[in-house]
Amino acid sequence: MSRTIAANIRRLTLVIAVAFLVTSIGVGYWSLVAADDLNADPFNPRLIAAVRDRPRGRIVDASGRVLAASVRDADSYRRRYTDRSLAEVVGYASFKYGASGVEAAYQGSLIGQDPSDLVGQWRARYLGVRTEPGSVVIGIDPKIQQAAVTALAGRRGAIVALDPKTGRILASVSLPNYEANLLVDPAQQDTAWDQLNRNTDKPLINRVAQGLYPPGSTMKIITAAAALENGVNPDQKIRVDDPYQADRSWGDYFVRSSSGAHGDFDMSLAFQRSENIYFAKLGLTIGGAKLAEYAKRFGIGRVPAVDLPAAKGQLSNSGQLERPTLVADTSYGQGELLTSPLQMALVAATVGNHGVAVQPHYVMEIRDPSGGVLRTIGGGAADQVIRADTAAKLTALLVAAVEAPGAFAFGARIPGVHVAGKTGTAENPSGSPHGWFVGFAPAEDPQIAVAVIIENAGQGGVDAAPVGGAVMRAALGK
Amino acid sequence: MEITFAVLLWGVRIAFLVLLYLFLIRAFRTLQRSLAEERVTMAARSVGLAVLVVTLSHAGGPRVGERLPLRAVNSVGRDAGNDVVLNDDAASAKHAVVSFADGEWWLEDAGSTNGTLLNGTRVWERERVHYGDQVQVGRIALRLERVQ
Amino acid sequence: MMRSRPVARLHELQLLVWVAALSITGYLAVVAAASGRFAWLELVVPAVALAIFGLLHIFLVSIGFRGDQLLLPLAVGLTAIGFILVERLAPGLLLQQLSWLVIAAGAFCVTILIPRDLSALSRYKYTWALVGLLLLISPLLPVVGREINGARIWVGIRGIAQFEPWELVKIALVIFFAAYLEEHREMLSTPPRRIGPIPVPPLPYLLPIVGMWLVAMLVMVFEKDLGATLLFFGIFLAMLYLATGEPFYVVVGLLLLVGGGFVAYHAFNHVAARVDVWLAPFSSDLRFDTGYQLTQGLFSLANAGLFGAGLGNGMPERIPVVWSDFVFDAFTEEVGFVGALALLALYLVFVYRGMLIALRAPTTFLQLLAAGLSFIIAFQTLVIVGGNAKLIPLTGITLPFVAYGGSSLVTNFMLVGLLLRVSDITARVRR
Repeated sequence: MSRTIAANIRRLTLVIAVAFLVTSIGVGYWSLVAADDLNADPFNPRLIAAVRDRPRGRIVDASGRVLAASVRDADSYRRRYTDRSLAEVVGYASFKYGASGVEAAYQGSLIGQDPSDLVGQWRARYLGVRTEPGSVVIGIDPKIQQAAVTALAGRRGAIVALDPKTGRILASVSLPNYEANLLVDPAQQDTAWDQLNRNTDKPLINRVAQGLYPPGSTMKIITAAAALENGVNPDQKIRVDDPYQADRSWGDYFVRSSSGAHGDFDMSLAFQRSENIYFAKLGLTIGGAKLAEYAKRFGIGRVPAVDLPAAKGQLSNSGQLERPTLVADTSYGQGELLTSPLQMALVAATVGNHGVAVQPHYVMEIRDPSGGVLRTIGGGAADQVIRADTAAKLTALLVAAVEAPGAFAFGARIPGVHVAGKTGTAENPSGSPHGWFVGFAPAEDPQIAVAVIIENAGQGGVDAAPVGGAVMRAALGK
Repeated sequence: MEITFAVLLWGVRIAFLVLLYLFLIRAFRTLQRSLAEERVTMAARSVGLAVLVVTLSHAGGPRVGERLPLRAVNSVGRDAGNDVVLNDDAASAKHAVVSFADGEWWLEDAGSTNGTLLNGTRVWERERVHYGDQVQVGRIALRLERVQ
Repeated sequence: MMRSRPVARLHELQLLVWVAALSITGYLAVVAAASGRFAWLELVVPAVALAIFGLLHIFLVSIGFRGDQLLLPLAVGLTAIGFILVERLAPGLLLQQLSWLVIAAGAFCVTILIPRDLSALSRYKYTWALVGLLLLISPLLPVVGREINGARIWVGIRGIAQFEPWELVKIALVIFFAAYLEEHREMLSTPPRRIGPIPVPPLPYLLPIVGMWLVAMLVMVFEKDLGATLLFFGIFLAMLYLATGEPFYVVVGLLLLVGGGFVAYHAFNHVAARVDVWLAPFSSDLRFDTGYQLTQGLFSLANAGLFGAGLGNGMPERIPVVWSDFVFDAFTEEVGFVGALALLALYLVFVYRGMLIALRAPTTFLQLLAAGLSFIIAFQTLVIVGGNAKLIPLTGITLPFVAYGGSSLVTNFMLVGLLLRVSDITARVRR
């Protein structure tokens, strides 16, 4: 016999020791490496359940209206939510299903462990002594919010309105939404959770930041910005003949004009009539690389620096624009583009804000129990995305797109105010096209920028423009 | 009061963790010490007088080739209390005695039922054993070997 | 077992003092955290447990036991940690666990008193195999069998006591394998023929082993217990390797395991469910369903950090059935990665010591027996900790000594008793 039992025992012991080492590494992975992610997991109900015996902080809007508060329920505190239109923003805090929205993102502040209060955090973790939570104030303006809710009633889609100068989100509607009170009711939470997760319309998603759609013609703002900064003269006329293809290599592929146009277009007319062939030619003139660069500058394909979960979307499947047909399609907002309403609202806001992009935020400030401001949110780094003179030219073009006779975005007009805006019609595989509107007002000194998406709108962008107009009107008090 | 309690409680918690490690370290030391002690006995054996090498055995008995160390006087038998334990049905509880005296090794039967064989012949009285001789107890055969 | 004059066991005593300190401190922290004050009266339970441990030590001293002095304190230390965790996670089960400890202590003493050199175990190997088989089948019998949590692995009288017979079977299995392999070792390890690199074992000698293993597998399929099946298979492979040193058997065995697992995955829902949960516990359709236990366990680990939340300060009670399936995660959450490492190290020292006893043991049977028993502890620990940390699919195997459960406590103390007996025999032979 070649080996003795003793040698076999030694070898087995070695294997066991190695297995113990591997197991220890596994335990270390979860308890040290993956710990931060898991502790912040929105479905981790530990923090919520940890404080079930005391009230969480309140969530209020800019006017002081209470959106979420804790009410006593037998031996624990349960949340009560007051505004269903903000369900996806405020979120829920369930003992079983974890938290979402502001309830999740500002969990620490809501249970008396605000991240700015290191001592308080330490006391909470190690002594179980929590400071009394104050309130989280979100920037939603109830007047604008109400206008947005009314304007979008009965449809699927999203509206977001924000202050182009500060990034404060003034209104945020995502439909369909859900009844958050059911998710925190022990008697109904399981059936409600089941139904919501089975619903193919995905009511739990905050369409404003997480919904992704082809931007359609609203993308033309970015194409125009790239062209203006790369030596294209907006008054130069470009010949449009429907249908269009650059050369024979496109085969049976053509860019179509939505109005079947034949004629010469300058940039202003192209904006008013939303002329696809004009912008396709523009995109081909400046080239895919420049177009991709400007799309990235405007935040396409990047998660916006917002304080709630947001999707990043994409410029194309590969992130590049290699094929001429893809450059042409992307130039007028189709191709493989995907953007969220929040991203497009930021495009409008950037143009309105003289080319400077601000960081959007839902929450304005955290207050202590006595009402004093603990810290304010927002005011993050602002980027000069395009030159101020480019922004001014774009603004003029977008005003014309609303106000000129025969302009597609006429529905967004407000008497006595110059409105800048652009409609969009997003072809999509799920039925009739989605309608877009992005814009800001007043054009010369914008108070509000909006993005509207209406899913499967009958007439696309033409349906969305009046909705955007209604929201801006409410904001400007007209 | 509340804070005092919390601090005390944390003291106890930390003490637990510390004690856990102290216990682990003590256990590890004991392991090392027993290893060392066993090595000493092994070493003592290897410099000892002689060994009995198992040359023939059976299931349940010692392994063939195993070296059973000898001291000055060794009881041989089935009982666990013997110096040389031979697990064999044919062996008596106390079977034989192997001893070293006057510079020689001696084998003596201790009143066993089945007898003790030295190089195939039964031992009736104390007999001299040379290195290389075969001793048979029950079904187990042993060879006396000098330790290098 | 030969009785002789009492022998001092100072190392053991010293280690037991540390266990006492550890036990009282941990228990005090848990009770104080729960009640908000230092309730000295509640220390009665750990005191009784410690008294039982002390009696075991006195018992060993009084019979002049000369075996190892490390294993008992380790086993008892782990058991003490188990008591702290039962008080922490399921105080209602504490008295039950204490009565099981009394039975376990009795079983330990009986094992220590097994006459002479344990050769009776090896001589009646087929009896043990039969006993194991009967124990294995017993949960399927109509009157005494019980199905709990979907696994039909219990016998008992409703409301009085339940026992998991497979816990005992694992010891019977090791005894049988040790005896059988010792007898046929030469045949198994020196194959007369080789086809290429593949050794062809003489079938008549392998058949009884494979048969025993097959029966175990089949019964497990009917009793729906993944963990026990895995454990039996592990024991089988380890023993075969120990006896033959032939890696080929291990490779074939592992292939069998993977193949069997694949078949079981497609054939049995309970297996498929376990594997699906393991692969993606956080997926949206499992997260709040069958994956809930594991995700809560992982959240528990995540809450641990380096030094833990402090005893009594975490919230492992959120994990369903935490006291038997997830004690490791619960312990880790409250004492941190640092504490978890110490716990794993204690197991490793235990296993290492057990393997040393095996190395020194005078006969092949005793070597195989001690190594097999040590392997059980190592394997169970690895499988359940691996399951808790999502390294492998979760199984119903218990964390030895620490997890709540009477059957496993009793069996594991018998296991320690057997290991001690082997070391005692060694000490007496090699004085």
